[in-house]
Amino acid sequence: MNNKLIEMRSISKTYHTRTVLDDFSLYVRENEFLTLLGPSGCGKTTLLRILGGFETPDSGRVFFEGKDITDLAPNKRPLNTVFQNDTIFYHMSVADNIAFSLKIRGVSRAAIEDEVEKALHLVGLDGYGDRMPDTMSGGQAQRVQIARAIISRPKVLLLDEPLSALDLKLRQSMQYELIRLKEELGITFIYVTHDQEEALTMSDTVVVINGGRIQQIGRPEDIYNEPQNAFTADFIGDGNIFDALMIRDELVNILGTDFPCVDVGFGQNNPVDVIIRPEDVELVDPDKGTIRGVVTSVLFRGVHYEMDVLAHGYHWMARSTRMVPEGTEVGIMIDPFNIQVMHKPTRPDQETFTHA
Amino acid sequence: MNRKSIQTAKRLYTVLLILFMYAPIFAMIALSFNASKFRAVWGGFTLDWYQRLIHDHVILSAFYNTILIALIASILATLIGTLAALGISVLPSRSRTASLAVANIPMLNADIVTGISLMLLFIACRIKLGFASVLIAHITFDIPFVILSVLPKLKQSRQRTYEAALDLGADSWQAFWRIIFPDILPGILSGFMLAFTMSIDDFIITHFTKGPGVDTLSTCIYSEVRKGIRPEMYALSTLLFVLVLLLLILINYQPAKGNRKGVKRLVLSRVVPGALILSFLVFALFYARNDTAAAGQGQVIVYNWGEYLDPDVVAQFEEETGIHVVYEEYETNEIMYPKIASGAIAYDAVCPSEYMVQRMIDEDLLYAFDAKDLPQSGNIGDRYWKISGSIDPENRYFVPYYWGTVGILYNKSKVKEPVDSWSILWDKKYKGEILMQNSVRDALGITLKYLGYSLNSTDLDELHEARDMLIRQKPLVQAYVVDQVRDMMIGNEAALAVIYSGEAHVSQAANPDLAYAIPKEGSNVWMDGWVIPKNAKNKDNAKKWISFLCRPDIAKKNFEYITYSVTNEKVRDLVDDPVLKNSPILWSTDEELTDLETFRYLGKENTDLYNRLWRDIKSH
Repeated sequence: MNNKLIEMRSISKTYHTRTVLDDFSLYVRENEFLTLLGPSGCGKTTLLRILGGFETPDSGRVFFEGKDITDLAPNKRPLNTVFQNDTIFYHMSVADNIAFSLKIRGVSRAAIEDEVEKALHLVGLDGYGDRMPDTMSGGQAQRVQIARAIISRPKVLLLDEPLSALDLKLRQSMQYELIRLKEELGITFIYVTHDQEEALTMSDTVVVINGGRIQQIGRPEDIYNEPQNAFTADFIGDGNIFDALMIRDELVNILGTDFPCVDVGFGQNNPVDVIIRPEDVELVDPDKGTIRGVVTSVLFRGVHYEMDVLAHGYHWMARSTRMVPEGTEVGIMIDPFNIQVMHKPTRPDQETFTHA
Repeated sequence: MNRKSIQTAKRLYTVLLILFMYAPIFAMIALSFNASKFRAVWGGFTLDWYQRLIHDHVILSAFYNTILIALIASILATLIGTLAALGISVLPSRSRTASLAVANIPMLNADIVTGISLMLLFIACRIKLGFASVLIAHITFDIPFVILSVLPKLKQSRQRTYEAALDLGADSWQAFWRIIFPDILPGILSGFMLAFTMSIDDFIITHFTKGPGVDTLSTCIYSEVRKGIRPEMYALSTLLFVLVLLLLILINYQPAKGNRKGVKRLVLSRVVPGALILSFLVFALFYARNDTAAAGQGQVIVYNWGEYLDPDVVAQFEEETGIHVVYEEYETNEIMYPKIASGAIAYDAVCPSEYMVQRMIDEDLLYAFDAKDLPQSGNIGDRYWKISGSIDPENRYFVPYYWGTVGILYNKSKVKEPVDSWSILWDKKYKGEILMQNSVRDALGITLKYLGYSLNSTDLDELHEARDMLIRQKPLVQAYVVDQVRDMMIGNEAALAVIYSGEAHVSQAANPDLAYAIPKEGSNVWMDGWVIPKNAKNKDNAKKWISFLCRPDIAKKNFEYITYSVTNEKVRDLVDDPVLKNSPILWSTDEELTDLETFRYLGKENTDLYNRLWRDIKSH
C-alpha cells in the first residue's frame, strides 16, 4: 500500500482566463481509496479528466508506475472511468455494454460471456444481460457503467461523482457497494465528489480542494476533527467558526472570553480562526459554563436536537440528544480538546466556503 | 348545444379539413383512371394512361433523372451534412450557434433566389448547365436538411459516450463507428430521406440550373402543362404522390420503444426496404428508358423563342431523321444571350433577332457555315438575304426565318385620307386618337425615319431633333402602350397606332375596318432566324434541322401556327386559308420593303443615351 501508483507533479490548467488547477501535486498509492473533495468548480473533475487523458495540462506531468503518461491517449491508459453523466450505450444490450472493452480487445466470445456474468454478479445485476438499458432505473444504469468500467480489470478506477444522480437511499447503499467492490477487486479508486459525507464514509484518504489547490490531505477523521483552515472547517461538516485571538500557547480568546485549549505554536496575541463542532458545544447550567446564553430555537433532527444559542452576540450551533427548550438560559462549556485553532487564511481559497 | 352535437360538429370539422386538403389529390388520382380524355366527363375506369406513361420515353427519362439525381444528391449531402454536423457539434457554443445559423439560412432562403444565384454562379464559373449542375444544386440545398436532422442526435451529453468508449480502450475510429454512428443513425436516415424527398420535390432550383435535355419530373411536367395537360400527367403525378407518401411513411416510422433491438433492427426495418425500392426503381427506369429511347443519329439541341414552332414539326423531324431534338425555350433575346455568351450550354441551333445576331457575330460567338448553301436555303427570297446582309454581309452565319415590319395601323372609319407618311402622327386632327409604342427604340426609330435619318443614328443633333419632335407630339398621343395596342384598335378606341406587322395582321383579321401601312419615309424591319453557336457539338445535325425548317411544307406549318411573315417564298402557294393567303400585311411588296432598316446593337454608351432621351420625353 506504500507504492506511488500515480503521481501528479505541478499540474496547472487554465481555461481562457480562469485558472482551474494551480501548481497541483498529488500522489496516489496502490490500492488506496482516495477521494477528491471540493465544491463544484474547484478543479476536481478537471483533475480526473487529466488522469483519464481527456484533457492535457498546460504544464506539469502525470506519472503512472513511474512512467510519464501525460501525452498518452485515453484508450492506452490502464485506468477506466465511471462518468458522472449517463454514458450508457443505449443501442446495445446491457451485456454488450459491459463487454465493450473486451470486444475491442478481441477477447474470445466464451471468455467474454464468462466475464460479463461475473461483472453482472459483482454489481448485483444477475440476469439483466439481455435487457436494453432504457428499460432500467437510474441506479441500475449506474451499476452497468461500473460493471463496464471494471470488467477489464484496470489498475485504477476513476469515479466522477458516480452517485450524484441517485436518490439518498440508493446513494447510501451504493456507497457500501463501492467499498465492497473495491475490496473484492483490490484496485485503486480515485473518487471525485462534492458530498463530504460520501467522502468521509468511503475513503482511505480525503483530499480537500478549493480554487485549484489542495487545502488539506488526510484520513477522514483528521479532516473532520482537525481542519487546517477555515475553508476545510466550514466545508466539512457543520461548525461554529470564530475570529479569535491566540493569547498564548493553550489559551485562546473567543468573543472576549478566554478559553483553555490544547493548541500550541500559534504565537502570542496572534489573530487565528477557531472552529468548534456543534456536538462539542455542551449546554450546562448557566453558572457552570464559561459563558452564558439563551436558547433561541430548537430543531428536531432525528437522532439529535439542534439548538441555536445566542451568547455574546453570536449564534452558537449546538447538537445534543438532550433537548433544551427555547428561552432557557444556559451556560456554554467547551472541552479544551474540542477547540480547533487554525491559522488565518493567507489566500482567498482558504477562506470559509460560505463567505467565499 | 349538448355534448353529442358538439362531438358531431368536431368530427364534421375534421372530415371537412381533411377533405379540403386532400380533395385536389383525390381528384387527380381519380382523373388518372378516367377513360375519357376530358376532365368533365367520366368515361369509365382505365389503366390506359399508366400504360402510355410507361411507354413515353421523355417522361421515363425525366423520372429516371429525378430518382438518380435525388439519390446521388441525397447520398452525397448526407455524407457532407453528417460530417458538418459532427464538426459543428464539438464547436464552442458561440461558434456553434453561428455555424447553425449559416447552415440554416439557405434553407429559409426563397427557392427562386437560391436557384438564380446558383445559375449565376455556374455561368460565372463556366460550369455547363446540365445534369452535373442540377446535381450540385441539389446537393447544396439538401445539406442543411441533413445537418438539421443529425445535429440534435449529437447532443452534448451524448458526446460523453464517445469519451467513455475511448476510456474503455476504443480508438477514435472504433468509438465513432461502434458508438457515435449507431447513436446518430436514425438522424442520418431521416436526413437522407428528407434530402431525397426535397430533391424529388424541387422544381424552382432545378428549373434555373438545368441545361437542355436534362429534365426532372417536375420540370418535365411544367413544360408539358404549358402545352396543355395530357391525362398521362395525372397518372404521373399520382405515381409521384404515392412515392413521396411512401418515403414519408418510412421517415416517420419509429419502432416501438423498448422493443427496439438496436442498429440491426433499424437497418432491417428502414434501410433495407428503402434501398430495395429505390434501386428497383433506378434499374427499372434505366432499362425502360433504354428500351424506348429513340435509336438514333444523335441529337440536336435547339434553343428557340417560346411558342415559335408548330410542336408537330419537332416530332416530324425526329421521325424523319432519327435525330433526337432537345428543345429549350426563352422569352427574350436578353435571356438567351448570356447563356450562349458564357458557353454554359452548348446549344446547336438558336433563333435570335437580327440585332442580337450582329452582336454575337461581333463577339465571335457564331459558327460560319455559308447559310445560303444549305439544301433548302434556296426557298428563302433574295430580298430577305439582302436585308440580313446588313448585319451578316456574306450570309455566312444567319438564315432569316420570320420577319416583320413596324408601320401604322389605322381605322378606315376614322381616317378618311390615305396614310402613307409618319407625318399623320403629328396631325392635330387626330389629337387623342394616336397610340405610340412604349419602347425607346421604336418611338425614336420611327421619328428618326420621319426626319430622314437612320433609325440607328448616334448623332447627337439628330437625336435631339427627334426627341423634340416626340415631345411636341405628346399632347396628341392617347397613350404609350405595348400589348394593349391590338385590343384597343380592334375595339375602335383609337384611330392610329404604331404597331408590328404580326399584330397588325391579327387585328385586321378581327376588325376589317383596320388597315396597315408602311410609311414612305421607311421604317424598321426585324428578322428572327437561325444561327449555330461556335461551341455547338452537333453542327451537322443543326444544319439538318435548319434545312428541314426551310422546307416549304414545314415553313408553311410554322407560318400557320404563329402567323408571322416568313422568308420562305414557296409558302404562300401552299397556304389554303384565304385570310392568311391574301393578307396584305403578311406578304409585303418589294416597294414596301425598300427603305426598311434593321435595328443595330448600339453599344452600352449609346443605349444609355437613348434611355436618357426617352426619360426626357416621358417626363416632359
